[in-house]
Order: sequence, then C-alpha cells, then structure tokens
Amino acid sequence: MPPSVCLRGFSQLALDRTAHASIASRCLLTVPRSSCFSTSATRYANPNKKKTGMVAAPKRGVKSLNVKKGRKGVQPDTGKRPAPGERKAMRKRIVLSNNNALEVSSLIDLDKPSVLSKKNEGQVKGLPEEVVDALRAVEAFKPTQGWSLFRRPATLIRKETTQLAKLIKEAEGKGEGETAKTIRRVVVGERMSGKSSLLLQGLAMAFVRDWVVVNLPDAQDIVNAHTEYAPLPGSQPTQYTQDAYTANLLSQILKANKKIFEGALVTTAPTLPLPLPANSTLKQLVELGIVNPDASWPVFAALWTELTQPGRPPIMLAIDGLSHVMRNSEYLSADVKPIHAHDLTLIRHFVDHLSGKTALPNGGMILAATSKSNSPASPALEFSIQVAEARQHSGDVPIWNPYKNVDQRVIDVMKDVEVLKVGGLSKEEARALIEYYAASGMLRAKVDEPFITEKWSLAGMGNVGELERVTVRLRV
Amino acid sequence: MPPRLNLLSFARPIPYRSRPSLQCLARPTKPTAPSQFRLYSGAADQPSADRSKQPDAKPLPSVSGEAAQTAEIMGEQGPDLEQGTPVEEVVKGDKEALEKLPKVLQDSIKIKSSTSAPKGSRSYSTSTTSEISGDGFDMGLVGFSQPSAAPEIPGVKFGLPTLPLPRDGNMKHRYDTVVDQVTNLLMKHGEKSVAQRNMSLILQHLRTSQIPTINPARPLLPGAPPPSHLPLNPILYLTLAIDSVAPLLRIRNQKGAAGGGVALQIPVPLGIRQRRRTAVEWILKAASKRRNKGSGKNGFAQRVADELVAVVEGRSGVWDRRNGIHKLAVASRANVVLPRKR
Repeated sequence: MPPSVCLRGFSQLALDRTAHASIASRCLLTVPRSSCFSTSATRYANPNKKKTGMVAAPKRGVKSLNVKKGRKGVQPDTGKRPAPGERKAMRKRIVLSNNNALEVSSLIDLDKPSVLSKKNEGQVKGLPEEVVDALRAVEAFKPTQGWSLFRRPATLIRKETTQLAKLIKEAEGKGEGETAKTIRRVVVGERMSGKSSLLLQGLAMAFVRDWVVVNLPDAQDIVNAHTEYAPLPGSQPTQYTQDAYTANLLSQILKANKKIFEGALVTTAPTLPLPLPANSTLKQLVELGIVNPDASWPVFAALWTELTQPGRPPIMLAIDGLSHVMRNSEYLSADVKPIHAHDLTLIRHFVDHLSGKTALPNGGMILAATSKSNSPASPALEFSIQVAEARQHSGDVPIWNPYKNVDQRVIDVMKDVEVLKVGGLSKEEARALIEYYAASGMLRAKVDEPFITEKWSLAGMGNVGELERVTVRLRV
Repeated sequence: MPPRLNLLSFARPIPYRSRPSLQCLARPTKPTAPSQFRLYSGAADQPSADRSKQPDAKPLPSVSGEAAQTAEIMGEQGPDLEQGTPVEEVVKGDKEALEKLPKVLQDSIKIKSSTSAPKGSRSYSTSTTSEISGDGFDMGLVGFSQPSAAPEIPGVKFGLPTLPLPRDGNMKHRYDTVVDQVTNLLMKHGEKSVAQRNMSLILQHLRTSQIPTINPARPLLPGAPPPSHLPLNPILYLTLAIDSVAPLLRIRNQKGAAGGGVALQIPVPLGIRQRRRTAVEWILKAASKRRNKGSGKNGFAQRVADELVAVVEGRSGVWDRRNGIHKLAVASRANVVLPRKR
C-alpha cells in the first residue's frame, strides 16, 4: 500500500469515530481533531511555561514577602496627570520666602532718602515689604531666580546698580539746575550675569522713589500669539491691539501703583468708548479698562496722557527679553503675512519711547533687558548693541553685512540707545554676597579669602548666577 | 671566610664568624672580646640531616638552613651556611630555651641586646604624636612651619601643603559620598548633568521644605540631629533618610538548596554602599509612582524630595519593605551557613 493511502485511511478512521460509538471508545486517537490531518494546533500551541521562582513554601499562617527581583531600575512614571492649568501655575509659582532660612540681623532695607546713594555699593540690602508686593504685582521676580532660598528678598547693590541709581537721579532732575530727563538704556551682559535682576533693582528703586512703574514682564508673552488681537481702527499702516493682554497689564499697573493712582484726578478729557464719571481718579480710569477689555487700549492711551501731564511723578517703563520684540511676531495679518512686533500697539508704544521719538516730560527711564537664554535671533538688535558698545568705548564701529537682510525698523529704533553692560562681580561684592548666604544659613562653609577666591573663579570671574549656583544651589 | 677556631676547652671544632655586618650597622660600634665558648651550632652536626631519601620525610634544616633555602627560592642572597647558625638565632623567640641556656650564653645575649641602644635609653619610645589635629593620619609634622624661602626645599615650588590634607582634597572625592552615589543612581541614559541638576533640585526642595515631624513608631538612626536642624543641612537630611531605611540584609535565593528544586532563602549582610543603593532604589521607585504636580524639569526632583520627607516622617511605604526584609531574614536565619569551626 502506498503511504498516502495509508495515512488517508488512518485519518478517516478518526473522523469515523464519532459515527461509530463502539469504535470510539476503543479508539487510540483520543484527542478529537477538526481537520482531516493537521499538526498546526499542536505546533502553534503556547509552549509549556517554565516553572519560575520556586521558593520553599511558607509556613502555615505566615505572610511571605515577595523579594523576587523584578525589572531592574526605576519604573517609568505611572503617576496621575494633574488638572489642566495646574502645571503651569506650579511652574510659574514664585516663592519669596523660606521659613527655614535664618533671619539676617544686619540686613537693612532700602529707603527713600538713601536708595540712590553711592554708599550702598557692595552691600546686600533688603527690599521693603510694600516694594516686594509691587514688584510681585508687575511680575518682576522670575521663577529661576533664587528668592525662594532666603527668609525675605534682598539684593546686592553692585557697581552696575549704582550706575543705574545715578541715572535714576539724573532722570529725576531734583538737583540744582537740573531738569527732568528721559534716560534710555538697554541692559546687556553674559548669561546669568544678572540682567533681569538689575532690571528688578531698577524697578525697586523706582518704587522706593515713588515713580510710576509700567513693566512688560516678558516680551515673549506679547508676541507669541497666545492672546487675542484686533486691528486698531483708523491706523495707517494697520496696528493691532491686544485687548486681553492690555487689560491684564492695566490691572498689574494699578496694583503696583495704587497709592499714586488713588490720589490723582483725571485732568484731561479722554475720548473713551465708555463714559467716565466726572472728577474720577486715575484708579477709576484704569478700572474701566480692566473690566472692559474692549476699551483697554484707549484707556491705556488715556492713562499715559494723564501720566505725562505736568506735575506727575517720573515714569519707569521696562521690558525683559528685548529680542522678542525686535522681529516679526507670531501674529498673522488678514492677508496672512506676519505682523512685525512693532505693529502691535503696546510694543509700538514701548519702542517709540525707547527710540526717543516720544519723550517723558516729567522725566523717567526706559529700561530694556536682553536675555541670553531665551532670545530668538534678531541680527539687527545684536548689531545695534555692538554699535552702541563700540560708540561708548570709542572703538571700531562694525559694519552691517550687506548680503544680509536688514530689519530697518529695529536699526532705527536702536539708533542712539545706550547700553548698560552687566559684567562679573568684583571680589568685594562676591564677599558681601557670600557672607549674606552664610548668614542666612544657606551656605555651610568657612567664608575666608581662599574660599571666596575659589568660588569667584568657579563662577567664571564673578558671574553672579554661577556664583549662586556654586555656593547655595549645591550644584555639583 | 674566617678560620674555624679550635678552642681548647671544646672537643669539637666550632665554626666562628663575626655577626653579619648588616645587623651591626645600626648599632654603635663597641669592641667585644672574642667569646671563649661555643656560640654556634654547625650544620654538619645534625645527625638526622640526610637519613631519609624522600624530601617530605626529611627533617627541617636549622634556622639558617631554612632561611638559606627560602632565600634560594626567592632568588636572594641568604646566610652563608658554611658559617653555621648563631645560638641566639636558634633560641630567639623561644622563652623556655632561653631560660634553659647556660648562664654564660644568657649573659652574652643580654650584653648583645644591651648594646643595641645607648646606655640610659629606654626600650620604649618616650615621644608621642599629637592626636589633637583631627582624625587624619598624623605624620608628626605638627607645628611644621612652611619654609619661607622656596629654594630651601629643592623641587618644591609652592611650598608644602599643610597637613592633614582636607577631606575633599582629592579631586575624585571632592563631593559628599552619599550625594555622589545618589547622583549616579538618579542618572538615566548616562546623562550625568541632568542627574546633577536633579540632585541639586532635590537638595533645594529639602532645604525649603517644612521641619519634619518624626513618627516615634519609625525611629530614625540613633544619634540623629533634631528635626529642626535638618532643612538647614540638606545633605544630612538626605543621608539620614537613606541610612534610616537602608536594609541591613538581602535575601539570597539559593536554588535547589532546600531540596526538590526549591530555593533556600539565605539572608546575606550588605555593605554600606549596597545598603544605601537598595534604599535609594526603593525611594526612587516610590517617587516615580507619586503624582507629578507641576511641569518642566522640576517634577521628578520634587517627587523624590517629597518621598525623602515622607521617609523621615515615617509615612513612606519604603519602611514596610525594609521591615519585611528584616522579618524574613530573621525567619530564615537558620539557613545561614557559617564557616565550620575546627
């Protein structure tokens, strides 16, 4: 018999088995098969699992611990996700106090008569409580700065701060034969050299001197198209207002300058889309803009005309992250072209003052801080800063690369702005700062000359951010 | 080779040699009269020397012979065997033999030993090294003033360092050991800088966290500082949290030792680094299961810091793990195989 026939007969037997019950009971093929003859089922069946982790059986009634070595290392994050908005709030949270830090008894607050004095140089000074509240209102504190390590906010009055204080004094024009001036400065310097901190010190000094302070806390927030915008009616070329942002800014301005705004009456007759009661204060004017975001830009403009009336206090206008506003914004126009940042009303307002096109009649200061860690490319701004530096040091003025596109608007704005260069701390300043750290209990070391020199050198010749990193941040 | 002296009072020839010059070097030279008695035993007079042909069965040679053999193996210059072994060397260290020696020999040995130090000096040292200057090894250089003029010490350009050297003097051990170890355990994909940033953030969170309340049911290490001191010293805080929950043992599953293909659980003691490593791994695992509160680079550090605080406050589940390990280790302590004593 050929083998195929033989197999056929054999498999047929298995099929027939169900038909003949008598045969089935005596059949050798006990496993029922669906097909005639197939080995697939056994071939694809799961292999028998090996017995693993055989451990001596625990005693009766004794709980055993599972000490099997599982997957090595740290498991991936399985935590629950936080609620919407919670993360950003956590990330941007600003803590200005550490209850564990020691109170520094020798810390003296800045006060109005002595804040601009040259004697403060090289000392750590505390910020008065109301100034801290105002600075918090204008978002001058940044989450990356080390405020959360100390009992209360305090700053080192460094050489650049004294320069700034001198400029503020000049802007006030309170001395004999001086008139109020508008000072315009761009703060430049290395990364972590304290540019934003210097801006904060400028704002703090302005608050102490009872100036009106308007701070645009982060230029990126204005241009990154996260807030709504609308064309300003009657503007040629078209400008764009940002109602929600401006309303928020107005509320910040009001919170920071409440005392001045409450005591000042509206003297001009502003043309507003909403009625303003007669004899209202500046506070009422600003509140009108806060509750009606549609009217926020006209209210801001009206507020500015009020503030530039004679007899008003000087104004501090500041911005951080300048390079964001020296390029096209993320907004698009109606014909899907990028809108230049200078076409946004708020930015336009700022750069008009920065360029000197509009002056502050009561004196004041326009302060713009650049950033080295969050700065989009703005070649025109960089070039202008180089030119300004060269002009200040009477060095060789660089020439624009003619094969590069130039943003002429930026060049025009930065034409005659001066720069305020923030360098490293001197060793005396570093000593004052490190002694303050040690007195706060945040630095556990013997502060002596070799220690200070070591840290000063590690911090790249006194870069203040790096100095903080190597002393109090415990950054290895 | 000095001639063998044939002294009248002795029946047998006595090999005589002067003491090896090397031993004499340190001693002040003092002329000693040649002894009239036998000081040395000859190699040839050992009756059992070559009675056996097998090397194992041969008796040990004399002291000098053994030294000579060892020196030959080591490829060095041993004592000259032809010269014989001095009696002092034979009885050296053997108190009983020393007592039984003849009086003359005892006297001569006494004289020899007394010549080792100048008259009037003590056998023990009368100067001591100061223990005041810290726990470092004292080199006896206390009060050693740095030379004012550099050229006084040739080859030293910047003067000698002051001793003892600081604990973080070595570049490779400049950071705290626990911080170093935890940083490495935090590291993922070899990104050490990220781990260092996380470590810094963890310490910062510990520093700004509230003063912990210690749970008396979960006692920390004995001798721990009061909890109010912890946030001001975050490295101590970290070390205390880790060392407090670090297990003393691990359970090793010895396969087949219990019979029938069943593993035997044997507790094995851990070293300090191993203990810390285990504790940190538990803490990191527990931290990764925590809820992430914010966003950005801070999240993981925040969770680890929270877990460390929970450990110190006795709220963490890591304590249960440690207690479980210890309980099991106690239960299976009978499985520990100690080396058999003879």
